[in-house]
Amino acid sequence: MIAIAQAIVNGVLAGAALAVPAIAFTTIFAVLRFANFAVAGFATLGAYGGWLVNTRLGVPAVPALLGACVAGGAAAVIVDEAALKGLRRRIRPGEAALAPAIASVAATLLLENVARFLFGNDPQGYDLPVFRDWHIGALAVGPQQLADAAIALVAMTALFLFLGFTRAGRTMRAVADNPGLAALKGIDAARVGRIATFAAGALAGLGGMLIGFDTSLDPLLGFRVMLSVFAAAVVGGLGSIPGAVAGAFVVGLGEEMATLVVDPAYRTAVGFAAILIVLSLRPAGLFGERTA
Amino acid sequence: MLAYLVQMASFAAITALMALGLDLIWGLGGMANLGLAGSAAVGAYAAALLGVKLGVAWPLAWLAAALLAAGSGAILAGLTARLRGDYLAIVTLGFAEVMQLAASNEVWLTGGTGGIPGVPAPWRGSLHGLAFDAAFAALAWGLVVVAALLLARLGAAPFGRVLRAIREDDTVAAVAGKRVLRFKVRAFAAGSALVGLAGALGAALEGFVAPDSFSALLTLTVVLALCAGGPGGVWGALLGGVLVTALTEATRFAADALPAVSAVQAAALRQGMIALALILILHLRPAGILPERPRAIPKELR
Amino acid sequence: MKIGLTRRRALLAGLALPAFAPGLAEAAQSIPIGTLTPLTGAGGAYGPSMAKVAKAVVDEINAAGGVLGRRLALTSEDSETNPDAGVKAAHKLIDINHVVAICGTWASAVTTAVAPVCWQSKTMLFTVSGADSITLLPHHGYIIRTQPNSHLQAVSVADFMAARGIKSFYSLSVQSPFATSVYQQMGAELATKGGKALGDTIYDGSKTSFRTEVEKAVATKPELIFLNSYAPDLAILLRNIYQAGFSGPRFTPGYAATPKLIASLPKPVTDGLISYAPSPDPGSPGYKRVKQILGTEPDPYSAQIYDHVSLAALAMAQGKAATSQAIHDNVRAVGNPNGVAVTDAVAGLKAIAAGHTINYSGASGPCKFNAIGDILSSKFRFDLVRNGKSTLLTIS
Repeated sequence: MIAIAQAIVNGVLAGAALAVPAIAFTTIFAVLRFANFAVAGFATLGAYGGWLVNTRLGVPAVPALLGACVAGGAAAVIVDEAALKGLRRRIRPGEAALAPAIASVAATLLLENVARFLFGNDPQGYDLPVFRDWHIGALAVGPQQLADAAIALVAMTALFLFLGFTRAGRTMRAVADNPGLAALKGIDAARVGRIATFAAGALAGLGGMLIGFDTSLDPLLGFRVMLSVFAAAVVGGLGSIPGAVAGAFVVGLGEEMATLVVDPAYRTAVGFAAILIVLSLRPAGLFGERTA
Repeated sequence: MLAYLVQMASFAAITALMALGLDLIWGLGGMANLGLAGSAAVGAYAAALLGVKLGVAWPLAWLAAALLAAGSGAILAGLTARLRGDYLAIVTLGFAEVMQLAASNEVWLTGGTGGIPGVPAPWRGSLHGLAFDAAFAALAWGLVVVAALLLARLGAAPFGRVLRAIREDDTVAAVAGKRVLRFKVRAFAAGSALVGLAGALGAALEGFVAPDSFSALLTLTVVLALCAGGPGGVWGALLGGVLVTALTEATRFAADALPAVSAVQAAALRQGMIALALILILHLRPAGILPERPRAIPKELR
Repeated sequence: MKIGLTRRRALLAGLALPAFAPGLAEAAQSIPIGTLTPLTGAGGAYGPSMAKVAKAVVDEINAAGGVLGRRLALTSEDSETNPDAGVKAAHKLIDINHVVAICGTWASAVTTAVAPVCWQSKTMLFTVSGADSITLLPHHGYIIRTQPNSHLQAVSVADFMAARGIKSFYSLSVQSPFATSVYQQMGAELATKGGKALGDTIYDGSKTSFRTEVEKAVATKPELIFLNSYAPDLAILLRNIYQAGFSGPRFTPGYAATPKLIASLPKPVTDGLISYAPSPDPGSPGYKRVKQILGTEPDPYSAQIYDHVSLAALAMAQGKAATSQAIHDNVRAVGNPNGVAVTDAVAGLKAIAAGHTINYSGASGPCKFNAIGDILSSKFRFDLVRNGKSTLLTIS
């Protein structure tokens, strides 16, 4: 019983950590209509950007998260402008945008190697104290994991406020909902695309650095969580931000709960099972509107 | 030098065979399959286990490898064929990951991360050195050509025409009375069979199979081969297999020529070059070097 | 027609030359040798410093006049921690560079895949892979392994634990060919001394949190937790163990607790961590030399590749032939117990040139091998991390 409760606590915290990059992935999909797999690379570069600010400039880890946002956002915009935008233009409406998706997989490999070239493979750590778990009854909770979840929550709230209450956010939603209509209204879709890409890259970078807090930093950081992140976004429904959050909790909880019944070595397989179950019931995910 | 080129010819054949399989699934059928590494693993392990544990002769083991890969492909397709491209890409990526996990953890069957050594290959034991390598390369390319000819006929046959029609618009195809799901599953299974056969060839060539071989990088290499060569036609996949092998090998020599960087930086540059090549090809030759010829609307749908 | 042919040939030659000519021209005078370490992929934490150490040894040997009057020419390839990539790279090293030896293969799958390529072409393979199955392959003497096999490790670690009064342990192991065997052998050895193995969990090393696995381990109330890990997953496990409030001893192989990893983690997390590695005598000059090359305490694999390159050079000098065969035939002769004791390649080459037999003992310890190429290591060093610094506890 306690084991189950503990798995739920762990799963919720793991889900919160997954949610940030999953939102990044789904935001790009919502606005630009393609799966940008390079979010894994944005997470890695963001984590390194924050690390430079934290360890080289001596800025405390939490404010240094801004460095991660800037690095991740910049990486996202550069990759999009240089490698993906041209391919996106060739996609006919209604068609799945596979060429930019493939290019983004290649971009992930490229970014991983940019990090490797600049920083090497040696594991790096943030200048951040570590805490013992708090014990609440029989349950253990990590203060750092709680703080990470709180930071994730702040970032998500900021995104919701941005989308709901700013002009740029509203135009972004308009483009996401109906690109044709938005174009008629004279909205500059390219500019909106850039803002969305930057915002998503910033979130991915933030998510990457939060992962780095609990692990150690190396060029494969983003790659390690990639499959769970994509699983979360797909479960929730590509293009739906609330869906990505829900999906992240489904995958996070699923992976932790599964360790109670299956060999922990198969945790990743649980994400995949979650996708199959959800998609066989709802082919466009939990919150997805667009069907096949 | 010659020995090296002959070896790489075998590796190119394996990549080409996988690219042909992907061509059937993706080029003709329009299904974004990023789970190739999983199908290759099924084929490689099937051939290795049958050969090593049961002593099955290689032609039978390879046939079984293709059939098992087809079976797993059919199941995967049956579960996912209704999904749109982006969803399918992620689900199939997950399939490959699960296959790799299973190969790593089902130690009783697969030997775990240590893999299975001593996988038999045709003429191993009777031929040695260059003679063996050359015979293997010839056999591999022979299989590739046979597969390519079959695929070319399939592409021109009603089956291929319907598949193209589904790729362009499955609603229209469905309205025209085609059982879309059945066509998709068949194409997926047949393509997976070729990928599985290629996996079996790889296991035989190296005499070894291990989970680490079936990473996402393998899938990316084959996607690069198909995109470079030209999806939809048959000869593009063949050309792509050769080009990608040549490119990945050529980058070694390019990396050797850079004395100013450390070994890890040279390795980073090398992988970076391969990634960059894929991005450039997608931009410069979106339809590949040998693009699919446009065809008339199939009469079945008129 | 004739002109056309010549032109085409000239064009071909022109294309081929820039790529291959330097290798060919150099091959005439120098002795090609290769490394095949994981520079990318899961083993990426290890390959770069291994390649760096190999290059430093080659430079030292060349600066001192080379081997048999010829320079060594080093080519470093990337195994990508992937058997397929390793095999392709090995073919390139053997068929294009014509290396006399391939040094530093890591990951048992890579080594097992590369091994047949080596023995079929009669090229020496020096490896750091730990799986027991590797030296059991039919390699005809072409494999030398400097990493002690799992049995040697398990027994040595269990004895150390027993000597410290540890009665029980739990094992958390990354999926590897020796995950289960090390646990079982340790448990069996400890049982003979009145101790007990409480259980083991095998985890997926590519995950980013092992809280659940750690909670399971801590719940068995072990006196010690054994972490059969690699560097990236060890970083996470140590954090999770600290968070879970376990402050007993944690034990891990030296290749997991690399100095760079220890430096990257907060001090409380690594405090009390004990690592073990095959070892030379305290103050061994070879070990100090690797420390100088890397600028940190050497990780075991870097120490071992120092010995790979040195052994290859010494064996060629001993056999008076710059061939793989000479290495194959003499790699055991340069560890002659009655010979002059040497700890680095340059000193050894001088001694051989002076007509002495030598007893090479390098950066990773005495380099004596049995018939199947396994190291007959008698000693392990145990290091304790205190305040972010590793200090030698004992060599036993």
